[in-house]
Amino acid sequence: MTSNRSSRKIKDNIAKILIYIATSITILTLLVILGFVFYRGLPGINREFLTRMWDDKTTIVTVEKDINNLENKSLNYVPSLGIYIDLQDGNVVITGVEKKSPALNALNKKGEIYRIKKSDIIERVKKIDLREATSLDEAITAIEGEDTSLDLKIRRPGGGILPMVISTLLIIVITLVVALPIGVGAAIYLNEYARPGKVLRVIRFAIQNLAGIPSIIYGLFGMLFFVQFLKMQYSVLAGSLTLSIMLLPTIISTTEETLKEVPNSYRQGSYGLGATKIQTITRVILPSALPGILVAIILSIGRIVGESAALIWTAGTVAQVPRALFGSGAAAATLTTKMFWEIQEASNIDTATSIAVVLIVLVVLLNLFSKLITNKFLKRTGTGK
Amino acid sequence: MNNNSKFSVEDLDLFYGDFQALKKINMEIQEKEITALIGPSGCGKSTFLKTLNRMNDLVEGVTIKGKISLDGKDIFKEMDAISLRTRVGMVFQQPNPFPMSIYDNVAYGPRIHGITKKSVLDEIVERSLRQAAIWDEVKDKLKKSALAISGGQQQRLCIARTLAIEPEVILMDEPTSALDPISTLKIEDLAVELKKDYTIIMVTHNMQQAARISDKTAFFLVGEVVEFDSTENIFNNPKDIRTEEYITGRFG
Ligand SMILES: Nc1ncnc2c1ncn2[C@@H]1O[C@H](COP(=O)(O)OP(=O)(O)OP(=O)(O)O)[C@@H](O)[C@H]1O
Ligand SMILES: [Mg+2]
Repeated sequence: MTSNRSSRKIKDNIAKILIYIATSITILTLLVILGFVFYRGLPGINREFLTRMWDDKTTIVTVEKDINNLENKSLNYVPSLGIYIDLQDGNVVITGVEKKSPALNALNKKGEIYRIKKSDIIERVKKIDLREATSLDEAITAIEGEDTSLDLKIRRPGGGILPMVISTLLIIVITLVVALPIGVGAAIYLNEYARPGKVLRVIRFAIQNLAGIPSIIYGLFGMLFFVQFLKMQYSVLAGSLTLSIMLLPTIISTTEETLKEVPNSYRQGSYGLGATKIQTITRVILPSALPGILVAIILSIGRIVGESAALIWTAGTVAQVPRALFGSGAAAATLTTKMFWEIQEASNIDTATSIAVVLIVLVVLLNLFSKLITNKFLKRTGTGK
Repeated sequence: MNNNSKFSVEDLDLFYGDFQALKKINMEIQEKEITALIGPSGCGKSTFLKTLNRMNDLVEGVTIKGKISLDGKDIFKEMDAISLRTRVGMVFQQPNPFPMSIYDNVAYGPRIHGITKKSVLDEIVERSLRQAAIWDEVKDKLKKSALAISGGQQQRLCIARTLAIEPEVILMDEPTSALDPISTLKIEDLAVELKKDYTIIMVTHNMQQAARISDKTAFFLVGEVVEFDSTENIFNNPKDIRTEEYITGRFG
């Protein structure tokens, strides 16, 4: 007896130690990865990185000068345009724009308003090239000429990841808007309506297997079907629809698991009060299943944000804010596809790790946000604390 | 047929697949009385009770033969299950409040039947909770989760939830079996009080309970009603030897 007990105790302790070691290894690995990513990536992150477009953009604009403004506030003030300029690395950079500045109403070649902003670079005034300017006076003289209307070549510097942040959020929203109702609906059908039997078993088997298919295969399908056959071209919509299909199995099984856990007594209580099936589902079952649906959402967001294979050949790798949902100009790189591309094509590890930091922060924020919303909802139904 | 009869059951057979759970049941259930259903486990009491508000419709493979009428109307042929269930409410063995606030639990029935006006709902909620003798205990926490009150309170809340749809009949399936003695007494008092306005049919395993509060008692045995009579007669003067054995606890 005693020897048995002490040997059991030893086994117990060995098991405990093994568990501690395994846990420590996991946590350490995680810390090392996070540490590396933040160490390499953080220095590259600043306001410009977060708020600027990826590529430089050059625009030719026409400005109507304010020739009545004769104020002379300082040496780098241009009265007729109401702007401040400075010479930085041989570039004439706009360092400030006044509220009533005519530069805010500049027109591009299409006749649309182009708001000149702080940090824009003036490359040319009329025919005078300022890219090789050696003094501010050169620029000021060029601008303050006789004529009342002025042609400027403006370069807006890029180097930021704003387009990818926007595209990532856009793809998350579209994918969830498409996949959640279908996935939750399918789970409700399978759990609440479908008769148990062979057909149901086959459907479940299919769903489980679909969840295990590598994402590149979904990407291939998306490219052939949405991009080519439906002629959506590389676009946020083609990407989102591909991801929706890819995520459906996960959403369906996660939701179904929670629906199964909703006690039957809730259903009976509701029917016993004369509720219809739909009323019972929408008012009792779905609210109780909400935490599980939240898990599905969080898992989905994680997969979307982490996906590259299924997106590269459906949404493309163009670092731009998409101008449409599909068709031309609708292509958009997410943070992850851009990161992949930076490593693959540009070997730009520093930018890639900076994107990684933003990605990690974004995922944490999105998860907190989904939790917050669900908690609000749970409080309303009285199940929250 | 007695003209005070609320439910009239004629030659009722019920099958779960091939298994016959109810055999040729005939019963007249009187209005504004408490009818107790007693009998050993598995004899079909719950099945019979659930047939009265067609909760068995939800079970796969159930076949029902015979006729049940509520106020003379056939519940299978002349009524739909939804409107039947609003007239015949049900309280279950395990308290099963929804995971919502106390208020929303009671307001659930009225809401699904289309009442949305806050003042009307407030009034129904208060009246139902008072009728179920739980108002004083919960009036300050109506917005709190119904899962956060005691089992006995939850069961009275479930009774209030049923009362809120203003049924004519209340079916109770062992409503006190999961409760402590004090909560049990409260529910029994409540049932006697509710009898003034409602017809109550209650399954119970507790002989004293049946004897204390019911007017009629039906003794079930393997799907059959062995004896159905006034509670007085069943407990003091049973006609069938099996009834006598059961109520005296000598049942094999
Ligand atoms: N859904 C079902 N499918 C098949 N058989 C069932 C089903 N529900 C009940 N039965 C069977 O019908 C018989 C009667 O069951 P019922 O639940 O009505 O008994 P009961 O008298 O309420 O018992 P207890 O006192 O234990 O609650 C039992 O033999 C039971 O196994
Ligand atoms: Mg039972």
